[in-house]
Order: sequence, then structure tokens, then C-alpha cells
Amino acid sequence: MDSGVVVDFAHLGVTYANGVVALSDLSLTIAADQAVCVVGPSGCGKTTLLRVLAGLERATQGGVQLSRPATLAMVFQQGLLFPWLSVAENISYGLMTRGATPPQCRAAAREWSERMGLQRFIDAYPHQLSGGMQQRVGLARALAVNPDVLLLDEPFAALDAQTRVLMQELLVDLRRQGLCRSLLLVTHAIDEALLVGDRVVVLSARPGRIIADVTPQVAHSQSFDEIRAQPAFMQAFTTIWQLIRHEVEAQLREEVIL
Amino acid sequence: MTQSRWLTWLSPLLLVVLWEVAVQLNLLNRVFIPPPSEVVVALVKAVRDGSMQHDVVVSSQRIVLGFVIGAVPGTLLGIWSGLNRTVLALVRPLATMLYPVPKIALLPLVIVVLGIGEVSKVATVAVSVFLMVVIHTIGGVLQIDQRYFEAARVFGANQRTIFRTVALPASLPAIVEGWKLAMGFALTLIVGVEFVGANDGIGYRIWQSYELYAIADMMAAVCVIAGLGWVVTVVLDEVARLLVPWRYTTVKESRMSVVRTWWGAVRPWSYTAAIVPVLLGAAIAAQQVGLNWWLLILALIGSIAIQGGTNLMNDYYDYRKGTDTPAVKGTGGALLRGELTPTQIFWAGISAFAIGAAIGLYLVSVTGPFIFWLGLCSVAVGYFYTAGPFALAYVGLGEIAVFIFMGPVMVLGSYFLQIPTVAWPAVWVSLPVAFVVAAILHANNLRDIDTDRINNKRTLATIFGRDGARIEYYLLVGGTFVSQWVLVALGVAPWPTLVTLVMLPLAWKLMGIAGREVDPAALQPVLRQTAVLHMRFGLLYVLGWVIALWM
Repeated sequence: MDSGVVVDFAHLGVTYANGVVALSDLSLTIAADQAVCVVGPSGCGKTTLLRVLAGLERATQGGVQLSRPATLAMVFQQGLLFPWLSVAENISYGLMTRGATPPQCRAAAREWSERMGLQRFIDAYPHQLSGGMQQRVGLARALAVNPDVLLLDEPFAALDAQTRVLMQELLVDLRRQGLCRSLLLVTHAIDEALLVGDRVVVLSARPGRIIADVTPQVAHSQSFDEIRAQPAFMQAFTTIWQLIRHEVEAQLREEVIL
Repeated sequence: MTQSRWLTWLSPLLLVVLWEVAVQLNLLNRVFIPPPSEVVVALVKAVRDGSMQHDVVVSSQRIVLGFVIGAVPGTLLGIWSGLNRTVLALVRPLATMLYPVPKIALLPLVIVVLGIGEVSKVATVAVSVFLMVVIHTIGGVLQIDQRYFEAARVFGANQRTIFRTVALPASLPAIVEGWKLAMGFALTLIVGVEFVGANDGIGYRIWQSYELYAIADMMAAVCVIAGLGWVVTVVLDEVARLLVPWRYTTVKESRMSVVRTWWGAVRPWSYTAAIVPVLLGAAIAAQQVGLNWWLLILALIGSIAIQGGTNLMNDYYDYRKGTDTPAVKGTGGALLRGELTPTQIFWAGISAFAIGAAIGLYLVSVTGPFIFWLGLCSVAVGYFYTAGPFALAYVGLGEIAVFIFMGPVMVLGSYFLQIPTVAWPAVWVSLPVAFVVAAILHANNLRDIDTDRINNKRTLATIFGRDGARIEYYLLVGGTFVSQWVLVALGVAPWPTLVTLVMLPLAWKLMGIAGREVDPAALQPVLRQTAVLHMRFGLLYVLGWVIALWM
């Protein structure tokens, strides 16, 4: 394996017990410090890809390899915070399971809650927070373990449009600060993938295969509004949308026939 | 309080009144359906001879023991079954099969196996609690969202950590709910169990009253078991809040439970001026006769209720006048923080007075008119303290009124409840407490000396001037100790009461500050600490008398 590669999916295939083929013969590598975004029509197996990497799903063919014992962390759809733990306890959960002492956990929670603008809510319970705040906690919980690869499964899909933009900016900002290294984000929003990712991988409808691997030539140093205005962004957006649109339409036809 | 809240109180009250009226008008036969007043009399009688307390304790013991024996293994087995498919397959069919069997139907079987003693009663309760808890706990564990387990695994949790941080807390709400149901069930069951083959307990009392055709006694027992059920519900709700706090926090801020809000706002433990004299009177009386705990507790509750009512009313009017700030402790602060509404405070005050008055009248009916005159004088002094054309507090008589009525009068009253004679020694013995309670008021007047002068409020402090007021403070605090030493020297008070000497350093410090400071802010701690001195001195003084009982 290439020394710069952190994650290596090789000929990955996942077939569920009920016979549904979620992924088939998918190969993908993620380099160190690379942000890879996976887009595709719904039900294409994007989430399955993440779940295999996280160890929550077993590959039925091929598999995934990590370059070294790498720490993984995941941000779930709708946060999936533990409702019975306070914000501080949620943030430091991954540290606690790895044997950190309570004072260490508390210190990490304080550090991350300040970074995320959560310091006022450190002793609150998740249900007392808004959706955006909850997802900040989810992000803090994942980043607090200092992961080699951060997995994000449609993390901002449940948020309202304005909050979603703010969260995307926050994520990009955290990467710029070097607080988040390799990243694998699964989303159905093409603009999100282009704004966050160094690389955008487009999956076909089920079973998911890679139909495009785009490296958008956008300048990430600029603000989101400026990135959106770049011709390269527009062009990449249109290209990817045409690919996905084709897949979605094919899927719809198939469903009608069925 | 909203109108609907009022109506919820009104309907039961109306029912009781209608019931009473119907019986008094002979519309209902009082042989079969005695009026509420007779039930109350029966209840008081049963409480006074101690038999009701005995039955409550016995039944409670059976319930609690049965509950613990059933709920602890039930919870553990339930969790285990929920997490382990093999155990689930073994346990669930059995539990589901046995669950619908009315447990009281098992009692004869249990009696055959275990005999008719305590064991069979506790076992019947335990078995039904166990089944109920197992089923609810299994349900609680099985309904956990599997994604929480996944999240925990992704973050590196091992099996033990997953159990502790996911399985247990996620199923706790359902588990506690199961405990609540099981407890309610245990309460129902114990009555049935005690109908048969018991010699005591609430159920036995109900059955026996039925056999003797003492319907009023029966209803009194039913009221008590209803009250017990209510207490159990409140306690378990508090347990739930403690164990499942994330279910009980609202979006705005962590909300204290109703009980805690009131407890923190009313602060009954701070009413030492109401508690110490009552305890002292009883402690003195106890040197001669055995203590009547029932009367002592009633007197304490009554005394606390009266002071609580006074405080609540003060807070209510202060709030109306806008003199309190949110930082203020007690109900005044709770009002301004929005935890309680003015109407709630007002009616709580009225209720406290009503409780105090009811207890007072009962005590009068038991011990005779002396208490009535004593109480009437106290109420009159309380009223004329700040009201009327000759308000005592504003003509320099405040300290004297407090000295007499929160010292000798209260001690004598409490003593009289135990031994119905007017004993002068009780008056002498109360003097140290009288001095220190007057010192609290004087510390207040010393602090406010300048503003009182401007407002033409005449207190001893404004009359004597600052130097005179300081000397008065020395005299009151000094008098507290000196009067006690004289009492000990004369043999009126026993020598163990000298434990109060440990409060001497605090007294010395306070006199120092009072003699030095002019600024009201610097004198504020003197007021607070004098109240502390009163409490600690008073309780130690009482302790001395109690120690003397064993010598």
C-alpha cells in the first residue's frame, strides 16, 4: 500500500442477508489529510461504505484496510448523542472509553465546548439543545479523540438550510486549523461535497459503483459565497448533477416497471 | 394558580361537604355511612393511641421488604434477559405466562408452603413485584434504539462500558416506570393479604373494623392507606428524577422538582426561632414525665407552620411593594426568579396559617384553655407588632415583645402541653433563649439605625443612640450566656447544658463587630450570624437538657 494512503477499500462488496446488494466491487483509497466526499442517489450504499469502515457492517467480498492502527470517529445523522449524558460527557465519551480519567475528560470537554461555542451548555442534556448545537456536540465528540479518519454520515441533512451552511463552514474551518485530518463524508448534497471535499466520489445507484472521481479545481481559501461563484465550482456541480440525475432517473424507471 | 387548578381542589372538597351535610340531615344513614367528621375523629383517636402508627409501620415494612426482595433480582434478571437472547428465550415465556395470574390467588398456595407468618406475606408481595419488574425491564432494554449501541462501539466502548453507559441508562426510564407500577401493585396486594390471617397492618385494621361494624374506623384506615399510596408515589417520582434526570429537564434550565422548589423557598429548617423554644419546653418537661411525642410533633409542626405562614405573607407583601431582589433567599427570591407565582405564595401562606390554627385548636381541645389564652395573646402581639396605631415594633417595644413571646411564652406553652401546669422554672429556664432571640431583632435594628431615624421608626436602637445600642447588643448576647450560668449555678439548669460554651467565640466575635462597625453592609453579617448563634446555642442548650435525662 502507498505510504500516503490511510484507508484502502479493495474490491469491496456488501450483500445483505435479505439478498440486497448494497455495494459491489468498489475500490477507493483515502490519502492522509485528504477530505473525500461521497455523493450518490439515495439508497446507493454510501452509508454502507462508512459502516464497513467503522466496523458496524461486514464486507461480503473484498474489504477495507487501514494503513496502521488508525483511530476512527464518526459523526452520525441527527447527531445520535447519548440523551442521558450531559454535553460534557458526550464530548468526552470516546476519551472515557479509552481510559481517560474524569479530570482529563472534563478538561477535553471544556476545551472542545469552547472551540464549538458550547461553553454555556456544557452541563445541559442534548434534548435541551437545538439541532445545530447537537450536531456541534456530535462533531466535538468525534474530534475529541483526535481521529486519523473522521467519518461523517449525512451529518447536516437534518438541519435547516441556514444552520447547515454554518456547520459546513465550521467543518472547513476546523480542517484549516488542522484539527481534523482525513475525512470521509457521505452526503446527497452536491454543493456540500464540493465545498468540503478535496475529492468528490460519485456513486451509481444500487449496487454502488464509482462512476466518477472528481477533484474540483476550486480555491478553498475563499469564503463559501466566493467558492460558489467560481466557474470551476459551477462546472463540477453540473457535471456531477448530470451523472446523478441519470442514475436517479434510471432508478425511477426501474421502480415504475417493478 | 389557574382557575382549573382551583376546580380540581373544589370538587373533592365539595363532595366531602355534601357528604357531611347529607349525613347531618339524615339523608344518609350514619350507621352505614358515617360523616367525614366522625372519620376524622376516628383517625385522630387511632393515631393518639398509637395503633394506627403501628399498623402503618407494619404494612410499610411488608411492602418495602417485599418490594426490595422482588425488584432487585427482577431488575437484574430483566436487564440480563434484554441483553442476552438465550436468557430472554428462557425467561420471557415464563414471566409472560405467570404475569396475568392474579397474585392474590397464589396466597393460599404461598401460605401452604411458607406458613401463615410474615414470610408468606412478604413473599406474596415479592413474587408479584418480581414478575412486574422483570417484564417492564425486559421491555425497557429491548426498546433501546440499536444505533446507540453502534455509536458506543464506534467510539471504542467495550461490553462493560456499553452496559454502563448505554444499556443501563437507556432502559432506566422503563425500569423506574416498572418499579412505580409494581409499588402501586404491592400496596393493593398487601391490603388483600392482610385481610387474611394477619394480626396487624392496615388491611387487618380495615377487615377488623368491618367485622366490628366500626365503619368510621374502617374509613379512617382507608384514608391512611390512600395517604400512604400518595406518599409512595411522591417518593418514587423523586427517585425517578434522581435516576433519570435527563427526562426531567426542560429546555430553559434544569428545573427543580416541585417539592424541592418549595422546600428551598420556604426553608423550614431555618425556623429555629419556632423550633428551639418548643424543643426546650418539651425537654424540660421530659425531666419529670415521659414525653408525649405526638403532642411535641404537633406543636413543632404548628409552630413551624405559623412562622412559615408569617414569612410567606411577608414575602408576598414585600413582592407587592417591590422591595426584594432575585438574590434574596427564601420565597421572596423564588418569586422573583419566577419559580413560584405570587398567588401560590399567598395561598401557601394562608394554608400554613390554617394548618397552624387547626393544630392549635386541636391542642387546646386536648390540654385546656390555658393554651388558648396563650395563643390568643401571641396572635394579638403578632398582629400589633407592625400593624395598628400603636405598632410595637415602631415604638421601641419590639425587643421586649420578642423576648417575652419567642422565649418564655413559647417554652411555657410547649411545657404545658406535656405537663398541664404553669411552672415558673420553665420561665427561668427559657431566659437564655429569650435573650438571644431578642439579640437577632436588635442586630437588625442596630444595622438599620440610621434609616429608621430618617423614617421616624422608633426602636430601642434609635432611642438609645449608637453607643447605647451597642451596649444593648452586648447585654443581650452577654445575657444569653450569663443567665444560663446563673441557672446552672442555682441548680435550675443541669450542668451538661454548659455545652453552649462552645458558642462563646462566635458571640465574642459578633460583639466585636457590632462594637466597631457603622456601615450597614458590615453589620449585615452580624444579623445573619446572630441568627446562627440563636440556632446553635438553642440546639446545644436543648441537647444539654436531653443529656441530663440519662444522668
